[in-house]
Formats: sequence, C-alpha cells, structure tokens
Amino acid sequence: MRKVSSASKNADRVFRVATGVAASSPVVFLVVIALIVLVQAIPSMKFNGWHFIYGIQWNMGNLYGALEHKNGVTAAAGASYAALPFIVGTLASSIIAILIAIPISMFTALILAYRVRGVLQWILSILVELLAGIPSVVIGLWGIITLAPWVRDNLAVWLSHLGPVVPYLRGPVGTGLGLLSSGLVLAIMIVPIITATTRDLLMQVPILYREGGIGLGMTTWEVVRYICMPFIRDGFVGALALGWGRAMGETMAVLMVSGSAMNLLPHNLYSPISTMAAVIADQLDSALTDASQMAVHALAELALILMVLTLLTNFLARWLVTRTGRRRSTKAGVAA
Amino acid sequence: MGKSISVTDLKAWYGDSLTLKGITMELDANRATAIIGPSGCGKSTFIRCLNRLHETSPGAKMEGSIRLEDEDLYTMDPVDVRRVVGMVFQKANPFPTMSIYDNIAIGLRLGGIRNRTELTDRVEKSLKMAALWDEVADRIHTPATALSGGQQQRLCIARALAVEPEVLLMDEPASALDPVSTLRVEELVEQLKESYTIVIVTHNMQQAARVADKTAFFLNGELIEFGETTGIFTNPVDKRTEDYITGRFG
Ligand SMILES: Nc1ncnc2c1ncn2[C@@H]1O[C@H](COP(=O)(O)OP(=O)(O)OP(=O)(O)O)[C@@H](O)[C@H]1O
Ligand SMILES: [Mg+2]
Repeated sequence: MRKVSSASKNADRVFRVATGVAASSPVVFLVVIALIVLVQAIPSMKFNGWHFIYGIQWNMGNLYGALEHKNGVTAAAGASYAALPFIVGTLASSIIAILIAIPISMFTALILAYRVRGVLQWILSILVELLAGIPSVVIGLWGIITLAPWVRDNLAVWLSHLGPVVPYLRGPVGTGLGLLSSGLVLAIMIVPIITATTRDLLMQVPILYREGGIGLGMTTWEVVRYICMPFIRDGFVGALALGWGRAMGETMAVLMVSGSAMNLLPHNLYSPISTMAAVIADQLDSALTDASQMAVHALAELALILMVLTLLTNFLARWLVTRTGRRRSTKAGVAA
Repeated sequence: MGKSISVTDLKAWYGDSLTLKGITMELDANRATAIIGPSGCGKSTFIRCLNRLHETSPGAKMEGSIRLEDEDLYTMDPVDVRRVVGMVFQKANPFPTMSIYDNIAIGLRLGGIRNRTELTDRVEKSLKMAALWDEVADRIHTPATALSGGQQQRLCIARALAVEPEVLLMDEPASALDPVSTLRVEELVEQLKESYTIVIVTHNMQQAARVADKTAFFLNGELIEFGETTGIFTNPVDKRTEDYITGRFG
C-alpha cells in the first residue's frame, strides 16, 4: 500500500478548509447583508408601522425644519413613508415580464436545443448570451428612445381597443413611459437567462427517452410536451424563479422607462409606475440629505421588503414544484 | 396482422461515413427475422431505418427504398410510419416522469382513445401480453422507474404493443436482462409473431436460433448471408458467416 506523505495530508487539510470557507461564504454573505438591511430598516418600522406596507404617500417632510419624534425615533417634520405603489409596481412589472418571457424563452430554447444544429446552433446560442450581456442602462436607453414611443403610438393604442373587454387595458395611453414599457424592458432582460437555462436543461434530456417517444409515433411537439417538459420541469420552474427574481430586482432600465411615479397606484397598463429597486436608486441622493436619516432607513425598509419578496417568490416556485411533484415522488432508478 | 417489408439497396450514412452499404432483403409478414453480426456492423442503424428513426439523428442520411407491403415508407408521414412500425430499444426507456399506466396509455391517448374503460382495458391487455401484468397489477399508478430493469423492458414492449403496430422492431431487447426475463421475452416473441412481423437484433446466437424463422448476418454494413435460421446455423454458405457463428471471428 502507498504511504500517504505528510505533505499530501497537509494539502488535504488546506483543501478541506478552503472548500469549507468557499461553501459557507454564500450563507455568510446572505446573513450579513440581510442583517445590515434589517438593522437599517428598524427605525423606519418603528416610525411608519404597518402603514408602510399599505400606505401610498412617500414624503420626506421638511428637511430644513424641526425634527419630529415618534415611537422613540426621529424624522423630519411632516415625513411619512409608504411603499404600496412601489410594491405594486414591482410585482406588476415583473409579472408582465415573466408572462411575456415564458413563451418566448421556451420556444427559443426548444429551437436552440432541438431544431438547429452545428454552426447555426452555435451562432444563435452566442446571440442569446450576448443579449444577456447588454448593460441594463443600454437597454433602458433603447427603451426611452425606441420602445416607449412605439408603445405610446402603436402597441398601447392597439391594446386600448380591448379596453371594453379587459378593464386594465383601457386608455389613456399616456407617454409610453410606464408599466407596459417596464414589463417589456424587463422581459427582454430576463429572456436570455431563462432561455439559456432552459436550453441546457432540454439538451440534458436523455436521447433515449426522446427516441422512445419518437419511436412511439409522437410528433416533435408531443415529445416536447409529454417527455421533455415534464422531465425538466423542476429546473424550468427554477429558471423562471430566477428570472422573476431578476425582474423584481432590476433597477436601471426600469428607472429609465417607468415614468417614476410617486404617490400614485397604477390605474391601467400604461400608468407611470415605480419599482422598489428603482426608487431606492432614485431617492438615495436626496435621502442622504435628511439630517434625521429617516429617509435612508425608509429606503432600507424598502430594500428589506424587496429581499423578502424575492425570497418568497423563490419559495413559492419551489413549493409549486414539490406540491405538483408528489405524484411522482419516487424517482429512484432514473438513469439520467 | 403483420405486414411484410421489402428493402432495396438501402444505404445509410452518419455524416460522411457510409454505415449501410446497400442492403437488399425481404422481411416476411408474421415471422421473426433475426439480425446478427459483430458490434458496429450496422444492425441498429438498419432497424432504425425501418421506422425512420435514423433520419432524426444529427447528420444522418439514407438512400434506397423500403416498402411496407405496397406502400413506400419514405413517402409516408414519418409519424404514421412509427405508429405502424413499433420499436423496443436496447436499453429500457420507460418515460421517467410517468406511471406504469401512463407509459402505456400515452400512446393510446395520442392515438385518439379517450374512453377510460377502453384505455384501462387496453393497458391491461398490453401488460398481459408482455407478461408483466401479474407483477404490477396492484401498482400500475406508481412510477415506471421503480420497476426493475427487466420489468422496465417488458413495460417498453407493452408500450409498443398497446398501439397495435404491424411490425415490431426489437434492438437487442434482452441484452440487459437476466436469464429468466430473457426467456420471458423470447416466449413473447414466439407468441407475437403470430400477429406481428418481428425484426430482432441480437448478439446471442442461441437466441436467434430459438426465436427466429429467418436470420440475416451483417458485416461492416453489408448483408453477407440471409436465409432460414436452421440453414444459417447448420449449413452457412459464406465462410465469414461460419466463422462468426462458430465464434472464430475477430
Ligand atoms: N449517432 C451516430 N453518429 C455517428 N456514427 C454512428 C452513430 N450511431 C452509430 N454510428 C456508427 O455507425 C456504425 C454502425 O453502428 P450501429 O449502432 O448500427 O452498430 P450495431 O451493429 O448496432 O452495433 P452494436 O451491436 O454494438 O449495437 C458504427 O461504426 C457506429 O460507430
Ligand atoms: Mg446496436
């Protein structure tokens, strides 16, 4: 038998420590960041209470006037903070984005995985990855210059004809900067990541199972529908949750096309909105001038809600997977 | 009732490499034909041409003519071809996300059968034909992947039989099975050939001798010898066939 030298024992020890540190660092980061945000948010919670979640007005008060004391914390006189419009804006724009992105990503991924081969497959895959790499500020700029006017003059006008049927589609169509444009911009930003993930998942479906379906006389679509999609379902839902999380947290592009609505809930698909992430970026500058610091604490509470919401959607997605997956819980023996 | 298949000058390629170099043979209706030959000689490629699965592989091409009774296989819709020409693969491949029941019912449902009792009857009938019913009757709604390898392979046979094809292609259906399951599969082939045309690829000489009426010996993409099984095994014409079946082959 080979004798294990002390040098290789040491190397093994170093390796174990290094992997341990590496493996625990995501948890450590998550906990530290969550703690800092939480601590920063506490004064705002004390000052605003639950009203923060269901109220509509975001008002930093008179930054040059007297300070106001309430529940043991201080804030500028007349200040009141509430996040409902931003919560609604975040959820609405991200849900629109995910609804648009699901079919586009799915079909693009199917084409990339099964329909094109060789050089074409390679080129198209690169394009998808390039799209993922476009800085969000560039997409935002495109949103302002091209997308928003097109939405205002064409898409929104056309959709508003459906107003009598679907109330939220009723006009006025506004400036083009608003909920619909935000949703579209977000969709563009999450399509590449969902597409790339789904393509990789589809390519992992063993050819044996697909040929089983083809050999049984299934059409291409039936193979996808009954064999491939069920096979990759867990991963696909995971990809959607990832995309949804990105859409909720996306800042710059949305800030540019959202219309930056304050103190107002969206009343139709074209209303100006604001999202939590965009407001944090947008308001931080002026918040820093608040001597009482309550404005910063309020933004921290907004960040906290954003984090919690992102985690919740992730858990929701996972719960959906396990709930519908119970019927086929015994996966033993799948030689994938 | 089974249908005959006649193959004329069948050539098949993967990319630029010619894998089948012009095969001409008649596969009789309601009989079992065994394909034997060393690994890589093109047996799988050959039967994959018979249900047009070959053309789904990247870069795969074929040429020549295959007729199913009086129809040209390559002018038919490939999906229709595969409903008439069923296939059992070398490695058991039950659909992993489906129950035993659904594995069989899916082909029937896609074929337009909606009636629940009819579905259940046909599922049961197929499982009985594949000699699997007794082992799974009490758990047909559990995942197919929980079955043993041999049971999975019989499930795949049942799945192929359920849609009532006319031809059944079997690519080494017993190569991964234990002797008892192998015997079951062989008995099954024996029964099935009364109503199906069966083409079975096998590495097992005894198996070919036991189940096949006719046997074809392939070598390097060519059909070397084809005839009644007894003739091939007792009195081969070609020296290479003799070498192969007596195990004197590289
Ligand atoms: N998908 C493919 N792409 C490229 N070449 C292939 C492919 N499938 C098979 N081949 C090649 O074609 C030739 C014939 O393969 P085939 O699978 O038909 O052999 P076989 O007789 O079934 O062998 P075995 O007994 O090992 O199953 C082999 O040389 C193989 O390398
Ligand atoms: Mg083979």
